[in-house]
Amino acid sequence: MLALRLTRAARPAVQLRRLLVAAASAGTGFLLLSCLAHALGHPEAASASAQRLAWCAVPLAATVYLALAVARTDPGTRPRPGLSAVGLGPARLMAVSALTTALSCTLGSLLALLVFLHLRGDLTGMPFDGAAAGMLASDRSLPLPAALTLLAVLPATATTAVALALRPRDPVPPPRTVRGFGRFGAYGGSPRKETFGAAGRFRGGAAQPKAPAPADPRPTGGRAAGTTVADGDAPAPGTGADPEPPAPAPAPDTEVEPPSGLPWGVALVTAGLAVQAYAGRTAPAPALAVLLGWLLTATGLVLAAPGLTHLCGRLLQSTRPGALRLLAGRVLMAEAARIGRPLGVVCAVASAGYATTALYDGTGPAPASGPLSALGVLVVAGSTLATLLTAAVEARQCRAETVAALLRLGAPAGMLRGAAVLRAAALLALFGPLTLGIAALSALPLR
Amino acid sequence: MEAPPDNDVLWARSLHFSHRDGSPGLAGISLGVRQGEILAVSGPRGSGKTTLLRCLSGLEPVRCGEVWFNSSPVHTLGPMARERLRRDRFGWIDPEPFLVPELNVWENAALPLMLRGAGRRRAKVAALEWLERLDVGEKARSRPRDLQHAERQRVAIARALAHGPTVLFADEPTAPLHRADRAHVLRTLTAAARSHGITVVLATHDAETAALADRTVALLDGRRVHTVHLPDSPDTEGRAACSLSA
Repeated sequence: MLALRLTRAARPAVQLRRLLVAAASAGTGFLLLSCLAHALGHPEAASASAQRLAWCAVPLAATVYLALAVARTDPGTRPRPGLSAVGLGPARLMAVSALTTALSCTLGSLLALLVFLHLRGDLTGMPFDGAAAGMLASDRSLPLPAALTLLAVLPATATTAVALALRPRDPVPPPRTVRGFGRFGAYGGSPRKETFGAAGRFRGGAAQPKAPAPADPRPTGGRAAGTTVADGDAPAPGTGADPEPPAPAPAPDTEVEPPSGLPWGVALVTAGLAVQAYAGRTAPAPALAVLLGWLLTATGLVLAAPGLTHLCGRLLQSTRPGALRLLAGRVLMAEAARIGRPLGVVCAVASAGYATTALYDGTGPAPASGPLSALGVLVVAGSTLATLLTAAVEARQCRAETVAALLRLGAPAGMLRGAAVLRAAALLALFGPLTLGIAALSALPLR
Repeated sequence: MEAPPDNDVLWARSLHFSHRDGSPGLAGISLGVRQGEILAVSGPRGSGKTTLLRCLSGLEPVRCGEVWFNSSPVHTLGPMARERLRRDRFGWIDPEPFLVPELNVWENAALPLMLRGAGRRRAKVAALEWLERLDVGEKARSRPRDLQHAERQRVAIARALAHGPTVLFADEPTAPLHRADRAHVLRTLTAAARSHGITVVLATHDAETAALADRTVALLDGRRVHTVHLPDSPDTEGRAACSLSA
């Protein structure tokens, strides 16, 4: 009941996102039902029907991904101090979130069932009665349990995914590594530090690291275990940059850890392109090899995209940035994981679509072209794009407090908007040519 | 319209304010802030300190009453002009240090200067100077999340001071700190303001904090009061009834 109340009272933008999930779920449900109809109509071609069903995994995955992103941004299921006090903690909120997702997905599936029955001609009284009766095997009766099972796949998957992703977890303290010492020491030894008068303090701290400890009220035993080892060792003069020995944190690492998937992603993309090139040597390219190549390329793109986004942000804030480039670039670096992954998915889908159109452009219509594949393409493309936009909304929600503080400082709102535009432009400038290039490369050997 | 006295850098007359939901904020406050003084605005929670500071600094539009800054009216300015005024002339310290988590400490402190169009090198020098003075110079290259709360608050103070504001608004800058940290933060803030002739309007509900100021304006329920006569705390009322000794 609470989930329904929270669902009903949300703002229009939130409802729009949920409706998008419902629409994507309706599209996927209709595709699944069409597979069933194909199997009913062609009992002799079981393998073709199975192949169709397997292709439905792509829109299914895209829809579940969208549902996950929408559930993450849902303000109704965010931890709220008032609700936590009345016993609606993170676990219950996770349940509410999963219920909301199940609700929108089920709504979409029911819609798909209605439209399907309507187009088959089972439900009458509206325009386009039985418009696709031939394609959807209307001469045979529909096995209802099979249809319901197929329709339940998506809500069940999406709900499970949301519940797993949003399950309450205690914050894990980040592992403190001693690696930062060397890097900070390398910085600290540079003459730039000495220009603002920190050198004496630094040297003094290094010469007698235990001296200020008694004056400090904090117990020195509170330090992380990993750092006491490094502290016990006599630091070399170049690395004696631990500025405040009793501090619980070691000398900080100034850089944000970049996402680590970039090398793997690049390797997978090249492997995928190589597989496709290899498959393209024989005149009718083996479908399995081409599919494997595309799968590898797509996985590689998804893996590499956060790293590329981080790189994009780094380039944006390099070489003496002003406030605009600094804000744009650093935010992009910090949000690389959140924005990069959906962006990689969008790139993979776009490059696959571009390659397909480029392939079949000269040689007539694609073999699988038809209303159903068009619907599938629409669902996949729409879901991935909506996921990307939802991720952007999520990033914006996370930064709302910082933005408010910046506005209190008197930062012009136009500049903050300019930073957002700059981020989008930088991402477009990097990922647009990349997508086109990968699409052209993957289509090249198959011509 | 009467011009404000010459030595008052900030001046408010019969300031009324009610929040968007209609709850009363300020009810006819008049005060003047002299050049270079530290003015404490004291009062219990909910007495309108933050609202007064927001009105004075142009964060909230003033519809009823007048606010003058350096003999020019603030209450007639539009949102853009007020934003420019805040950026160029005012500094603001929140109760919580809202630093930009993506920027490191010196970039955070240099941000207002960069927003005003200063060069990166100049902004960095000024920011580092202030961080040094506020005893967080060693952490200039670390991220805000690696700092302790009091250190972050000092960085926020450095950020508010780095661009040399004419008036610094500090809204309970030491509320979430322990007393040792609180004294340190306040001492550095007041010393820095006095040495640079920066006018400070300091909202606080703490009498110890208010004692550091040159002058104190007491607020109660959105009104300026000179002597606070609260009703005696009902410490004995009802206690006999709840007593377990019966």
